[in-house]
Amino acid sequence: MTAFRDADAAPVGRLVLGLFLRRLIDNDVISPHADRHESLAVLGALVVTLAVFVTFFISSEYLAAFIQLPGPTALSALSDRFLFIAASIAVSALATLMVWDALALEARDAAILGPLPIPAPTITRAKLAAALLFGTVFAIALNAVPSVLYPVFLTMNLRGMDGRGILQLMVGHATSVVMAGLFGFFGILATRGVCRLITGERGFRRISSTVQSALVVFAVTALLLAPTVRKTVVHDWVAGTTPVRWPVRPALWYLGANETIAGHIVAETAVVLPPRFSFVGFPKRQDESSKAAYRALGPAFAALARRAWVSVPVVACLGIITFLWTNRRVPDQAAGGRGRSRLRERLRGIGQRLTESNPETQAGFFFTWQTLTRSAPHRTIVAIAVAAAFTHLLIVLAASGGHAPDLPSTPLGLLAINTLSLTSLIAGLRYAVTVPPEVASNWKIRMAWLGDERDYLAGVKRAAIVALVIVPLLALLPLDVGLFGLRISVAHSIFGFLFAMATLDGLFLGYRQLPFACSYVPIENPKLLWPAGLSTVVLVAYEFANVERWAMQTTARTAWLFIGLAALVVLIKIIDRAQRRERPPMNFDARPAWATQRLGLFERVVNHD
Amino acid sequence: MQARLEARQLTKYYAAIPAIRDVSFTLEPGSILGLLGPNGSGKSTTVSLLTGLREPSAGQILFDGRNITDRLVEYKARVGYVPEEAHLYTFLSGREHLEMIGRLRRLPAHLLTHKISTLFDLFGLTGAADQPISGYSKGMKQKVLLIAALLHDPDLLILDEPESGLDLTAGLVLRHLIPILAARGKTILYSSHVLDHVERLCADVVVLHHGRIVAEGPVSQLRAMTRQNASLEDVIAQLVTTVDPARTAGDIADVCGLSA
Repeated sequence: MTAFRDADAAPVGRLVLGLFLRRLIDNDVISPHADRHESLAVLGALVVTLAVFVTFFISSEYLAAFIQLPGPTALSALSDRFLFIAASIAVSALATLMVWDALALEARDAAILGPLPIPAPTITRAKLAAALLFGTVFAIALNAVPSVLYPVFLTMNLRGMDGRGILQLMVGHATSVVMAGLFGFFGILATRGVCRLITGERGFRRISSTVQSALVVFAVTALLLAPTVRKTVVHDWVAGTTPVRWPVRPALWYLGANETIAGHIVAETAVVLPPRFSFVGFPKRQDESSKAAYRALGPAFAALARRAWVSVPVVACLGIITFLWTNRRVPDQAAGGRGRSRLRERLRGIGQRLTESNPETQAGFFFTWQTLTRSAPHRTIVAIAVAAAFTHLLIVLAASGGHAPDLPSTPLGLLAINTLSLTSLIAGLRYAVTVPPEVASNWKIRMAWLGDERDYLAGVKRAAIVALVIVPLLALLPLDVGLFGLRISVAHSIFGFLFAMATLDGLFLGYRQLPFACSYVPIENPKLLWPAGLSTVVLVAYEFANVERWAMQTTARTAWLFIGLAALVVLIKIIDRAQRRERPPMNFDARPAWATQRLGLFERVVNHD
Repeated sequence: MQARLEARQLTKYYAAIPAIRDVSFTLEPGSILGLLGPNGSGKSTTVSLLTGLREPSAGQILFDGRNITDRLVEYKARVGYVPEEAHLYTFLSGREHLEMIGRLRRLPAHLLTHKISTLFDLFGLTGAADQPISGYSKGMKQKVLLIAALLHDPDLLILDEPESGLDLTAGLVLRHLIPILAARGKTILYSSHVLDHVERLCADVVVLHHGRIVAEGPVSQLRAMTRQNASLEDVIAQLVTTVDPARTAGDIADVCGLSA
């Protein structure tokens, strides 16, 4: 046998690094069954398109300005930069959470590399290098386009700005947002490492998915909340006139870093006006007062920047040290994980009682429950839906001060919390059922399925009613009672339940696939359908809140709304039943059109398979 | 007697490349047919067509005299299938997986619970029944696949490399189980590379090579085609082997021994 020499370590390490990177991209970032090149191209195009769109949207006020003054621009740019930085942290954290399981050595690594004569430290270092490379490349790729475009858009009408200044602004922007992205990446790596260190290998296996889902909810909520921050709030935070909550602080650190590198360039730009315009009166006073306000923030920026420069190395060290310590050995391939817990048995008993009439309904109920709680992509979809609902709740509570006056003048947002939360969760489920948990394992359902999806689908819906309607309504009930009192809260919850039932049945009208068991086919026109769907959800939820507010003012109206909603639920069920009398063949293997077909580059593709 | 399963001139193309061509054979109730052939000969394609998971490009599969595509769901309800690769939902436990399959096949709850517990016990899997499948060894997954295929008492069993990964005891149990099931009227298609097992279990075999049947019939008849006292391995080697195994083995050893 050839002995492994130290001199071989570097090339072997590079090979293993290549393997880990490939696995990261093939199996974790992208579905194992997708075409890697096409998926990467789509992902790249999505990142660039979104970056251009968001940057343009944020910069529209500067692009539209005929006369742009440096002082007000320097102040208003604070909130833009805060948004870019917060988004960079949240999106990098989310991307890292998507590859959560690949952030440490896994049993599959042991299976592939265990038999080879490679020292464990080489494998560990290669895994770490792959993770670091992923985090760094993602942070750079995510922020590259805005770092170039935003400074250009910001200073487009600032006539005194020169090329060197713009370049300096680009460097400042790129440095701060990439640092923020790295903070997001290392923050997740460190959180994972610390949790693993505290709970041990077995304990971490139990809590890993819960921690991951909680972090996804946190990151998505942060991402959705970031645009709602007003300019004055960012200014007040930096000035220290408004207390800063902890989750906001890291974004402010990197804002401080940006401003110390290049922020002053905008404020100090000379005012150059178009011919025949004079710089006097109100504009001059406004510019000077804004400049003074900006300059006054200088010491605060410097203090924040110091924390930014320290934070990334600290979090990186924590992440790397905990990674190296918890991955110092290649893990065992031995079976492990959960056994039969009392809670699980109790939930199982409840599930069986809810579905004991029909075995297929039981199959749908339990498989939905198991998939939503254990399959990584499905957990993520549910977590995003929860985050969307949570974001709306936080915004509405913050706007209303957590206080509801008498019913006729109650803000609609407070009444829309229940319906919007339930609709968000049900829409998440509707999307989740189109994603198979493991495509290669679908054959088993295809073999066992007896040709009628109705009972199975009934089980899926029943699981959704329990997990995504009843549990959230119970969780929201104390808040409702605090806001509206017990009597109105009970009526509000019942209306929410009926509304959710109607929405659930409505969203599955015409759905002729087997949930979780058919191949995934992306929607045809996401650019139109996603925004349209989102707008519809918000509009319907707020309109329903309006109807509720009107109805709950008298007992008779309340009764009529109840009857109307119950009738709507029954009507949708009747339509659904009528539609499902016909039994068209189930297509388990529907495939999306080839990219060449979608782009019209192919007239006809003959598929012999 | 009417054939339980009949493959008629099955042909399957993958993107214009033929995987099998004009494959025909029949299986009587209570019979065990061995499906043999080297890698890439078309065994797995044939099996996937017989399960109804894929459609043939040409030809028909008749079950009790009726084309399976006419009543595919009813046909699948009477088939038990163990595939070559153990793809299972890894986030489920073995018990949860079998419960889902049993429920989809509309087995009554008490019968399903009893069957799963007993079969887990008999296959020596009780201790791992509630562990996630992601932690199972290949043999444990194979046992789950076997239990899932037997759970609904199917009339036709299609076994593609069923002994893959099984330990000695489980392998022996399976080899005793197959004749018992056949004696109870089940029809069994047994695809395997382990010729010794096929020779012991199957009265008839079909040998595929390059997607075509190169030999079929009782094992004794195939032996008679070659020299006296020849084993099934010798027969297959003569039919489908295009290289000299001894010489190839020597070449492999030589290449392995090369050094810089």
